[in-house]
Amino acid sequence: MTRGNAPAAIASLVLASPVVIGAAYSGLAAVGAVGAGADGLSGAALVHVLTSSVTWQGVAWTVATAGVATFLATAAAVVVAVRVRGSRTGRLLAVLPMGVPHVAAALAALLMLGQSGLLSRLARLAGLTAIPSDFPALVYDQAGVALVIASAWKEFPYLALTALAVLLTDAARLEEVARTLGATSTQAFWRITWPRVWLGTAPAALAAFAFLLGQYEMPALLAPSNPTALALLTYERSIDPMLARRAEAHVLALLALVISASIVILYARLQHRGQSESA
Amino acid sequence: MTGGAGGLDVRGADVRFGVRVGLSAIDLRVGRGERAALLGPSGVGKTSLLRAIAGLDRLSAGSVSVDGRDVTGELPERRGIVYMHQAASLFPHLSVLDNVAFPLEVRGLSRAEARIRAMPVVERVRLGPLASRAPATLSGGQLHRAALARALAADPAVLLLDEPFSSLDPELRADVRQAVVELLGDRVGPAVVLVTHDIDEATGLADTLTVLLDGRIAQAGRPAAVLRAPQSLAVARFIGIDNILPGVRDETNVVTCALGQFPSAGPAGPVSVTVRAGSVRARAPGGRGRTARVVGTLERVSGPVLRVRIDGDDVVATPNTELTCATGDLVELCVEPSSIHVIRGSEA
Amino acid sequence: MTRHRQRWWLAGVALWTLVPIAALVVRALARAWRYPQILPGAGDAWPMFGAAATGRLTEALMTSLVLAMAIGPASAVIGFTIGRAIARAPRPARRVGLALALFLVIAPPTALGVGLQVATLAIGVGGTLFGVFLAHLVPAAGYLTLFAVGIFTTFDFVLEEEARTLGARPWQVWSRITIPILRRRLAEAVVLGALVSWGQVALTLLIGGGVVRTLPVELLSFVRSGSDQLGALAALAVSVPPMLAIGLLQVGIRRTGATL
Repeated sequence: MTRGNAPAAIASLVLASPVVIGAAYSGLAAVGAVGAGADGLSGAALVHVLTSSVTWQGVAWTVATAGVATFLATAAAVVVAVRVRGSRTGRLLAVLPMGVPHVAAALAALLMLGQSGLLSRLARLAGLTAIPSDFPALVYDQAGVALVIASAWKEFPYLALTALAVLLTDAARLEEVARTLGATSTQAFWRITWPRVWLGTAPAALAAFAFLLGQYEMPALLAPSNPTALALLTYERSIDPMLARRAEAHVLALLALVISASIVILYARLQHRGQSESA
Repeated sequence: MTGGAGGLDVRGADVRFGVRVGLSAIDLRVGRGERAALLGPSGVGKTSLLRAIAGLDRLSAGSVSVDGRDVTGELPERRGIVYMHQAASLFPHLSVLDNVAFPLEVRGLSRAEARIRAMPVVERVRLGPLASRAPATLSGGQLHRAALARALAADPAVLLLDEPFSSLDPELRADVRQAVVELLGDRVGPAVVLVTHDIDEATGLADTLTVLLDGRIAQAGRPAAVLRAPQSLAVARFIGIDNILPGVRDETNVVTCALGQFPSAGPAGPVSVTVRAGSVRARAPGGRGRTARVVGTLERVSGPVLRVRIDGDDVVATPNTELTCATGDLVELCVEPSSIHVIRGSEA
Repeated sequence: MTRHRQRWWLAGVALWTLVPIAALVVRALARAWRYPQILPGAGDAWPMFGAAATGRLTEALMTSLVLAMAIGPASAVIGFTIGRAIARAPRPARRVGLALALFLVIAPPTALGVGLQVATLAIGVGGTLFGVFLAHLVPAAGYLTLFAVGIFTTFDFVLEEEARTLGARPWQVWSRITIPILRRRLAEAVVLGALVSWGQVALTLLIGGGVVRTLPVELLSFVRSGSDQLGALAALAVSVPPMLAIGLLQVGIRRTGATL
């Protein structure tokens, strides 16, 4: 019963197979070898996508909105975790929306943040606005405010759970050590616990960021058409009535896969460093 | 006590740690009903050897036979060898009785029948009243007895015990040691191999003792013989013989050391003289023995022993019961020549 | 942290979490919820939509359920098998396995989906329920592999070794020792896999080709065509089961005292 590389190698092959299959087919489709609009091998789609400003604006916009949302969600998660630490109700409340799928969260955001949404109506009640268009356009706007808020709402439970876990185990232990070394409760908190929780939640934040980058349904309901989020762009090209443009979807897909792979590698490096530090 | 027929026969076993060779050329023969102890420092490969014998890891060379049958390539469940891990590993989701019944169930008995057959074994280890309890509710000693019972229920030809007592308090050790002796000693019982780094455990329980040092068998034999006559300095140091004294052998086969002169055949040159503390007795000065000065007292569970200095060497001696002395006093040593053992070579 | 201040924070979290969900509930129950009503008027309170719409919702619910109930066990089996192998592997192989599983979780469904769409069309399952099942299996297997690695990292494999030297064959070890001990975690795994499938959108759209209509797909369709109420109903239908599942799991965790 030796622990082997063999079972793990087979396991890794199985895990890799959908990616390999998907990427292979996309690769072939990107150059026009297979797929609906296949017209013989051609690098036209590749060139067009990679040189188009639509592509890179989309990438930049997606990265920016995902980044801001992740940061907000992480900050909120850490603060809330610290404030409600130990409270079982607090934990339950924070974690509950984890089950709400992204698409439902997007609809809730529409209902809350639209110009005729709940917040707008509350603003009218408070006398701040008189008609719907007095309320700022948060949905379909260039800044993607509604998307950012909705994304942060959705990622918050997962990050809060992680922050709580770090707080209650790792950080708690280190805080105890600091106290026995003579630190006051405030000192121990700010110099040990606070940084530790951030550090411990960072990997989860990176994962959440990567996840938001690839999100489709939320931009589909909340984002403007220009600049277009990457996932939206990919989907739209894939159903484009002009068959020749469908190959572009595959180029965009491969681009997205490369971005995700880079993040996973970065994540793995960070984890590894974290482990060897604490070893 | 010689073992019964059959049992374990390991020949020429090599055990590797990755690319390093851990143990090589290990021969081990243990008959049914016999208890053999494998003694060696941590890291020498005792556990790896046991695991390889059990089939949980691979031997890089050599063969393993059980009751005359070559099991070298066989799966663990088919060897008739039960391997008991250091920590008593009872299945947490099964009661004590169901744990003991497990080996019977996997051999095809129904649960009810297995339980019926397991109950007497549970009672033999004095856990009858606890039969339906969960392992989490048992104490350390009870867990070990339950694990033993489970191993016995498997009716193995060979039983491997990996450091069976190291996780137990001294009080419990005696208790579990007693259980081991009671249960594993008759000629139709399994061949038992017990791995330990504790010399007292080994000598207390085993019929034969094999010392593993530097990847090889350094010495094998009855425990009393090994203790009395270690074959090398390394063995003597490892088993913790109290007295290892430098000496010289001259051409007339006489060895001279701090304790005096003794006949011992062999080539001339530097030697080491070993003698157990129990064989060096200290009494009040006045006789013809050599005089030494007391430099300290060591308290042991079995009684106090004295550290004395003679000719610049320190010797550990057992005081006679009527002797009262303090540090700085003089005492007389007397040694039985037959308890002296001489090894070639010297620590210097 | 005084109890008093903590109460304020709890209230804040409660508002943040519950108000959006409440908005969905309100919208689902009201035929119309016009500006500037904070709450819908009594006259609009009751839903009224045609049998066709109800039919669509019910069918979508069924489709989502069937997929989730198939993906749950399937992904649990795959995840546990793969996760166990990875957990027992030496460090370098472990990291590769974990990275691959994470990639399956993080990779944008649209990105994987367009490639898999061509693949499923090529083997003839494009636009079928089975094709969507295969597609959902991809992220689900990733999640469950990660879950299982966590479990097997702390699992005492000594128990399996003891069982084998006591005479149990590998399948007996699995069925009498490993699985009974991990029973609860397996149940959690099945639920997790089901939840992953339940929330999928892009993969269903791309591989299902608009033919396989799950709840999230109908939700999108309703909202885009302006049927907000139906959309909200679909949103509730798609949100309530996972919230219940998570709530139950939290209670279960509290009972056994296990910490996440």
